[in-house]
Amino acid sequence: MNPEVLVLATSVVLLAIGVAGALIRRNPIAVLMSIELMLNGANLLLVLGARVRGNVDGQSAALIVLVLAAAEAVIGLGIALALFRDRDRVDIDEPAEVRG
Amino acid sequence: MNDLFLPLAVGCAVALVSALLVVLARRPVHAVLALLGHSLSIAALYMILGADMVAVGQVLVYAGAIVVLFLFVVALLPQGGAEDDPTLGRVLGGVVAAGALLAGIAAWLSLGASLPPVAANAGGNVTEIGRSLFGRLIVPFELTTPLLLVAIIGAVAIWRRQERVP
Repeated sequence: MNPEVLVLATSVVLLAIGVAGALIRRNPIAVLMSIELMLNGANLLLVLGARVRGNVDGQSAALIVLVLAAAEAVIGLGIALALFRDRDRVDIDEPAEVRG
Repeated sequence: MNDLFLPLAVGCAVALVSALLVVLARRPVHAVLALLGHSLSIAALYMILGADMVAVGQVLVYAGAIVVLFLFVVALLPQGGAEDDPTLGRVLGGVVAAGALLAGIAAWLSLGASLPPVAANAGGNVTEIGRSLFGRLIVPFELTTPLLLVAIIGAVAIWRRQERVP
């Protein structure tokens, strides 16, 4: 097995683990962390592509995705904190209504 | 690239195991620590693949900023963010969706996709990344500026609205 296939398989499996985690867990933090896993898998594929093609654009795109992941974590965690700080149970299904 | 196989395999194994721990850990603090290990192993993979700049960014942004942010929120949530056990339906749904995704990608890859041979000038240095970010990719690169600004303002706005309600 050549190394590129190994990294490719890792990135695909990371994406699948992230999807499963985002669907199974009910904790907003766990869901956000699963989304980070998916972004990491995609980023790994971008860097692998940059290496295979010998073109550095993939690495630049991976850097931009890093910035995106940081912004997404900030907003997602802010919303999670605002929604769940005053509740006694942390369950992403519980806030059925969007309050103004 | 065959001499890279062993380090790559170790890095991939650590990344996969820690990703599973993130999803399976019962306590949020353990999941966050697993995410820290996962980020570092991904950074190691970038380093092995010759993407030094991305590896440094990964360590700074993920291990330095995002994991600390997650830890703060875990500490602020009620009961440390402890959750009930997922129902059987949720587990089934998640596993089926992930399995379908895996099967779909595997089928698509086996249909016709094949990796091209590794280019001779694989890997890049910071100068080349700068050329590409400020050249061909200037538009997406500049678009990260309003993205970060909106994220900062949005985080503050969400928190301010929360503060007004007694």
